[in-house]
Amino acid sequence: MDHRQQQLSHILRQFDDCADFTHKAFPELHADLLYFDHMVDSQKLYREVTAPILSASESELQNALDRLSGARMEADRDIVVAILSGSVALIYREQAYVIDMYNPKGRSISQSESETTITGPHDAFSEPVGDTLSLIRRRIKSSHLKCVRMKVGEISKTDVFLLYVADIVNMHYVDELSRRIRGIEIDAVHDTNMLVQLIDDRPSSIFPQFFTTERPDAIASKLAAGRVVGIMDGSPSAFSAPTSFFEFFTSSDDYYQRWSLGTATRALRFFSFAVTILFTCFYVSVTTFHYEMIPQNLLLTLSESRSRVPFPPVYEALLMELVIELLREAGARLPTKIGQTIGIVGGIVIGQAAVQAGFTSNILIIVVASSAISSFVMPSYIMSASIRLIRFGLIILAGIWGNLGITVGVAYLIIHLCHLTSLGSSYMTPVAPHKPGDWADVFIRAPFKLLKTRPSQAKSPNPARMKMKK
Amino acid sequence: MVAVKEKLAPFHILVLIYMTQTGVVILSLGQMLAQTFGINGWLALPFYGVIVTANLLLIGLVYRMGRGKSIFDIMERRLPLLLLSPLYLLLTMVWSMLACLVSMEYVLIFQMIAFPTTNPVWFKIVIDLLAYSLFIKGIYTISKASTVFFYLTVWMYLFSSMLFHEYSWNRLTPFFFQEGDFALPGMSGIYAAFLGYELVMLLFGYVDRSAKLMKLAIWANLLVFVSYIYVSMLVFGFFGFGELREMQYPLIDMFAYVKFPFIERIENLLYGLLLFTMLATMAMYYWSANEASGRLFPKLKPSYRGIALIAGTFFVGLIPDTLAEVNEWLTWFGIVEIGIAFGLPLFLIALLLIRKEKEAPVHA
Repeated sequence: MDHRQQQLSHILRQFDDCADFTHKAFPELHADLLYFDHMVDSQKLYREVTAPILSASESELQNALDRLSGARMEADRDIVVAILSGSVALIYREQAYVIDMYNPKGRSISQSESETTITGPHDAFSEPVGDTLSLIRRRIKSSHLKCVRMKVGEISKTDVFLLYVADIVNMHYVDELSRRIRGIEIDAVHDTNMLVQLIDDRPSSIFPQFFTTERPDAIASKLAAGRVVGIMDGSPSAFSAPTSFFEFFTSSDDYYQRWSLGTATRALRFFSFAVTILFTCFYVSVTTFHYEMIPQNLLLTLSESRSRVPFPPVYEALLMELVIELLREAGARLPTKIGQTIGIVGGIVIGQAAVQAGFTSNILIIVVASSAISSFVMPSYIMSASIRLIRFGLIILAGIWGNLGITVGVAYLIIHLCHLTSLGSSYMTPVAPHKPGDWADVFIRAPFKLLKTRPSQAKSPNPARMKMKK
Repeated sequence: MVAVKEKLAPFHILVLIYMTQTGVVILSLGQMLAQTFGINGWLALPFYGVIVTANLLLIGLVYRMGRGKSIFDIMERRLPLLLLSPLYLLLTMVWSMLACLVSMEYVLIFQMIAFPTTNPVWFKIVIDLLAYSLFIKGIYTISKASTVFFYLTVWMYLFSSMLFHEYSWNRLTPFFFQEGDFALPGMSGIYAAFLGYELVMLLFGYVDRSAKLMKLAIWANLLVFVSYIYVSMLVFGFFGFGELREMQYPLIDMFAYVKFPFIERIENLLYGLLLFTMLATMAMYYWSANEASGRLFPKLKPSYRGIALIAGTFFVGLIPDTLAEVNEWLTWFGIVEIGIAFGLPLFLIALLLIRKEKEAPVHA
C-alpha cells in the first residue's frame, strides 16, 4: 500500500461509524474529498473545489490545486482536527490539502431574550463564533482589536477567542486570562457561562466573577473600556474581565437615555437590590422579634392580617418565597403562552387562596411580591439569581436572631465580597479600593463630558477616553 | 492568582483607623462623661483628643526614626527574640482579650435589649466566627470591609438630625464639671473609647510611605473626636445632666424617639449596625494579636494561630458573665492597653536611639 492509501485509510478509520461523514472519491484523478457536509458551505465547496477539479484534466490538476486557498498538511492528526473544525480535506496523490469551508447552519442574528433593551441596538450574539466575531468587528473597526484563538476541551475542542484592544488593555490581564484558559483540562465545555466558572478566582463563591452578556454593544463598550473579552463557539454569551460587583448593576440602556434618566434607573437598581435581599427578612425580623418598630396604626393592620396565620413568620415567608421561586422556574422553562397561564395561576389562585385559607398574610404577599419583582430589575440574570438565593439565608437568619441575624448575614456577605477578586483585581472596586473618580459611571450615569477616563479597574495604560473640551 | 499588589490607600487608612476607634463605647459615652466629669462633661473630650494626638505624634516619631519599618523588625534587629518573647506574649494576650471583651460587651448589651432569654454564648460564637472570617483574610480585606461598613453606618448620624427639635441648649446649663466623681476607671473608660489608634503601629509595614500614615491617623482621630463631641453634646442637650447620669445607654434611648411613617424605634437598627463598627474593631485587634503571635510562632500557619486566639479568648471571655464584670475587665485591659499605647512607642524610640535605622525600608 502506498503512502496515499495509508494516509487515507488512517483518516477514514478515525471516522469509522460516523454516518454524517462524507467521502467523495475521484479514482480517475487519484483524488479524495473528506468533510462533514453539515459543517461546510456546500455551494462554496462546489464552486471552489469540486468544479475546478472536475473540469481540469489530470495534467492541469496540480495547477488547479495550487490555486486553492488551502494549506498543505502532512500530519494525519492535523488533517483530522481540521476536518472536525469544518474544513474540507483534499487528498491528491501524495499531497493533502485542507481548505476552510466552515459555515454551519445556525440561528440567525436575533434579539436577546434575556437582556432586552428599549432603546439602543437590538441584535444579540448567536451560537456560531463567526457571527459573534463579525458583530464585534462591525462595531470596532480598528486593527488594534486583537483576537487570540485557543482550544478548550479535550473532546469538544471548542474554539475560544480572547479579544482586546491593544494599547488600551492592560496586557497583564490578557496574559493571565489566556494562562487560565490554556490551563483548563476538561473533556468538554458547552457554554461561556460554564467556561468562566473554570477560570474563576474563587469557584466556590456564589457571585459571578466575570461579566457575561449577549449584547454586542455592551461587549464593544467593555473592549473600549480596556477590558478583555472572551467568546466561545457554540455560545451566545460573551464574557468580559476584570469585573466588579457594581458592574452588574449597569446596563447598555443607561448610556442611550439622557443622563438623568440613566442615573435614576441606576438608583432604582440599587434600591431594588436592597429590597430584594432585605425586605422579606426585615418583615420576618420585625414580626418575630421587633414589633415595637412598627408604628401603631400599621401594627393594627399587620396583626389583623397575621391573626389567622398559624405559622411563625419565618415559615410563612420561606413558604411564599419558595412558591415564587417555583413559579419563576416553571415560567422560565415553559413556552411563553403556558408561562403566562402559570403567572395567572400563581398570582391569583395561589396568592389569593393562600391568604383566604389563612396560610399567609396579605402583607407578606405584598412583601414577597415586591422583593421578587425587585430581583428582576437587576440587568444580569446570573447576579439576580445569586442574590435571590442569598435572600433565603438572610430570611432564616432573621427568623433566628431578628435584626442581629440580618446584620450578621450582611456582614458576612460584605466580608466575602471584599475578599473576592476578578482576575486578581478587587471585586468591590470602586468602593474598596476607594476610587471616587469611577463613581460617576457606577452609582450614577454622569453626562458623557464628565466620563473622561476609563474605569480604574481596567488599569489601562491609556486611561483617557475623551478629549472633548465642551 | 494574579499578583496585583494591593496597597493600603490613604482613604482606607483613614477609615480603618476611624472604624477601629469607634465601637460600642459610643452607646454609653454620654453617661460616662456625665458620671466622671459631671455637668457639661463633654467638654473634657478635647483634653482626650489632645492626649491621643500627642500619643500619635509619639508613634509618628517611631515611624520616622524607624524609616517606616515594621515595629517587630525594629525590635528584633536590636534584641534577641528570647528577650522579646514576653513582650510579644503580652501584646498577643492584651490585644486578643480586648477583641474578645469588646464583642462580649456588645453581645451582652444586645442580649439585654433584644433577647433576654437567649444564651449569649451563641451570639458570641457566631460573632467570633464572623470576626475570624474577616481578620484571617489579612489587613487589605479588613480595610476594604471597614470601608463598606463605614458607608453602611455613617448615615446613622443623619438620623440624629431628626432629634434636633427635642434638643434644648438650656439643658447644658452654664456650669462646668460640677458633680463629677473624677474616678480613674471612668477616666480610663472614656480614654478607651479612643483606643484603636495605637494599632497604627502595626500598619507600618503595609503602607507606602508616601501615604503619610501619621497624618491620616491624626485626621482619623479628629474625625472620631468630632463624632464623639457631636454625640455627647446631643445626649447632654437631649436628656440633661441629671437624667443622663442615671441612664445606661443614652444613645439607644435617644434613637428610640426617631419616628418615620413606616418604622419607628430605630435604635433597633442602631445596635444592629453597631455590629459593623464593633466587627472592624474586633478584627483589627485580633489581626494585631495574630501578627504578634506570628513572631512567637513563625512556623505555625496564620489560620491555626487565629483559631487558637479565637478559641483561647472565647473561653477566657466566658469568665465574666455579667455586663458589669465585662466592663470591669474592659477597664483593666483598657488601662494596660493605654500603657502599651504610650509605653511601646517609648520603648521603640529608646531602641532606635541606641542603634539608628539606616537602610531604606523594603517596601518603599
